[in-house]
Amino acid sequence: MQSQTTTTTTPPPFQFPREYSFPPFFTRQHNLTTHHAQLTKWASLVLSYCRHHRLYKLTLSDSSASQFPLFYNAKINRRLGISDIREVVEFLRRDGRAEWVGGSDSNNKEDGGEGGDVVWIYWRTPEEWAAVIEGWVESTAQRGSVLTLYELREGDGARGAEFHGIEPELLQKALGVLVKRGKAQIFGNEDSQGVKFF
Amino acid sequence: MFLKQLDLTTALRPSYLPDEDLLFVQDNVGLYEGKFKLPNQQNGQVYLTSHRICYVESTDPRKYSVALDLKDVERYEFSARFLKSSPKITLVPKATKRSSLQPRASGLLTGNGTSSLGQTTNTAIRVPPVEPAPASSATWICTICTFPNPVPSNFDPSTANAHTPLPPCLACGIKPTLAHVLKAAISNATSRQQGGPTLQTPLPIRPRPPSDLGAAQFASPPTSRSTSSPKTPDPDASFQCPRCTFLNHPSLLSCEICGAPLISHDLPAELMQQGRSQTDSPGPFLNSPLSTVSSAADTIESVKLSFRGGGEKIFYERLKGSMTQRKWLLQGAPPIPKASRSDATSDGSGPGSVAGNGASERVKIGGIAGLEHRGQAMRKNNEMVIGSAFEDLEALMASAKEIVALAEQFARQGGGGESALLAESASSQLGLITTKDIVGGNSDSLYLSELARNVAEFLTDDRRGVLKRAGGIMSLVDLWAVFNRARGGVELVSPTDFEKAARLWEKLSLPVRLRTFKSGAMVVQSKDRTDETTIKALLEWLKDLHEFPPENEVAWDWREFGRGVTARDVAERFGWSIGVAEEELEMAEERGVLCREEGIEGLKFWENFIDTGEGKTRPNPAKELEDSLIKALSDSGFL
Repeated sequence: MQSQTTTTTTPPPFQFPREYSFPPFFTRQHNLTTHHAQLTKWASLVLSYCRHHRLYKLTLSDSSASQFPLFYNAKINRRLGISDIREVVEFLRRDGRAEWVGGSDSNNKEDGGEGGDVVWIYWRTPEEWAAVIEGWVESTAQRGSVLTLYELREGDGARGAEFHGIEPELLQKALGVLVKRGKAQIFGNEDSQGVKFF
Repeated sequence: MFLKQLDLTTALRPSYLPDEDLLFVQDNVGLYEGKFKLPNQQNGQVYLTSHRICYVESTDPRKYSVALDLKDVERYEFSARFLKSSPKITLVPKATKRSSLQPRASGLLTGNGTSSLGQTTNTAIRVPPVEPAPASSATWICTICTFPNPVPSNFDPSTANAHTPLPPCLACGIKPTLAHVLKAAISNATSRQQGGPTLQTPLPIRPRPPSDLGAAQFASPPTSRSTSSPKTPDPDASFQCPRCTFLNHPSLLSCEICGAPLISHDLPAELMQQGRSQTDSPGPFLNSPLSTVSSAADTIESVKLSFRGGGEKIFYERLKGSMTQRKWLLQGAPPIPKASRSDATSDGSGPGSVAGNGASERVKIGGIAGLEHRGQAMRKNNEMVIGSAFEDLEALMASAKEIVALAEQFARQGGGGESALLAESASSQLGLITTKDIVGGNSDSLYLSELARNVAEFLTDDRRGVLKRAGGIMSLVDLWAVFNRARGGVELVSPTDFEKAARLWEKLSLPVRLRTFKSGAMVVQSKDRTDETTIKALLEWLKDLHEFPPENEVAWDWREFGRGVTARDVAERFGWSIGVAEEELEMAEERGVLCREEGIEGLKFWENFIDTGEGKTRPNPAKELEDSLIKALSDSGFL
């Protein structure tokens, strides 16, 4: 988990919202309205936390561990239970902001899928990433040129771009969106894939 | 004034005087004054107590409820259902000039009538209070030989009971039944008042005579009317005897055949008319009280109770009973005489003189012998009281006060705290007297509504403070237990009835209400305590916790969030039971005011800082998309 953030500079400490230090925030609420508000707040907290730390995936079994501060407030010694975390993830998934790793559709439960351990957190959805990449290509006048995926992720040309350091799989998904729209074409074999923007 | 303003309790029942016992309740009763309906008192409940008849109007009880003292009642008459006319009980007040004398005189005579023996002698001496009619005028006809016997002059229908000595038939020597003589006396009184040239009481108030006299009159109204009218003197017209229906000559004053007095027919026609129209069922309303005043001149109005929902027979029976017992005389009655009472009751002298005699007779014995002597006298006296009380039930009712006093004394002598408690519950039981048999009507609804009022009174009674001690809220089960305990183990209320009665509170607009929590638990609380006030109190307390630091060091910012409270804290703070506190907290949570925290310290409740309202305004992307789609479609003219 931490390895994914190594490429970026050490971020300033994340500013947790007010509710994070409110003990009942870590208990599942019974009142439906309150529960919905609780889920909403947790969802936005998870998204903003992931965005801040540039996390693209969460491993639930790890994230409930003590050293991971998102679901565990050491100061007030309160922890969000694993089932509640799953509920938050499910809430995000319904909103299109999360996806179980290993299955784009939730009925594929063979490898991961719903109830799996690793989950994509889409603080930007593949569509949004596609738009970002397209915008970057446009602004850097690289339409028609061919770029390797590595260049997009780690290359010097892409340094400073938002998608710098993006997960390869997520990049694939975003480029897939562009391919579907007819804005790009992917070729090459597994290790050295290239993409051409139209 | 015959009818008096009535004080009501919080539960809209009459507030009883000390020593007053509720005897009967009947609903759907209307009030008449004279022959006129009282406009605002046509549907209410009538409470017959040992001292009064209370009428509680159902629509505006505080304004229109009235009561009349039984001691002011001279006479009461019963008229059965006739065609559309509901059964009625007429109460004739004592004349005002006599009212000052009457209670004193009867008090002297019957004040010591605690034993049945004393009562019979007293009633025998007693002079009929009003209209001392000639003895010959009242006759009863022997059922065996049909000989008309005179009713004894000292026979008073209002006080007569089973112990009144009745003379046997003069012809055959068979004793008549009390009801028979009573009926004859009443019918005679009715006919006398109708026929009497000097009218003391207004005519229209009188009910239809229950005897054959009335029937005879109704059977042939044209004949009697034509003869009674002085404007159309008809020499051939005959006058029908009310008893034997023989057609007498109009100038005769008594029947040729049976000797019954004939109604004098030189009455004013309008009076006869009034007398005839009295039984009209849908009687006119009393619009202006002046009309009766002018017609009744210096007389006082009588009051009629119209029993539209039945129950008149039991009411009449119990009214008879309480008129006989005269409980109101007990109020000023002297305590149980200390000396032997056997001679007191036989010579009929007052208890005061008996006490004096006893004091002078007592031989002065000192020391242990004196104490023993006194103890013996006391035991003898107690024996007397108990013995006479159980002689018959009516006498028991009359001496109820003494018996209760004795029971309390015995309880004190027992000395234990438990027995003192028992005595207390026995006396408190006297205040909780809604039982199934005192309530009339054919359905359970009146019993339930009375029970509901009873419980409401019990709850709001400041002396007991049942609700207050429980922090203004208590579970129905607890209340049921307390209530039945207060009844002293008799006439217990079944849980079903109790619940049904509790459900009636809202309908009867009583000051308590039944609340059912989400879990199904039912609690009782006063009406002004709603969920909103509870939440307000809870929130105020929780807000206070922002100001005062918690006892232990806490990790979160207590200035911002306060602290969580458990059901136990709440129960302690508000004086509720823990179950109630839990329910109240969950209610507040349900309303979104509180939120919960489950931790190692148990379930705690906090002010809701989770749902602060911004969640609702958060834009929904799917909806936005839909909206923009619809907008685009409508812009391009597809929609």
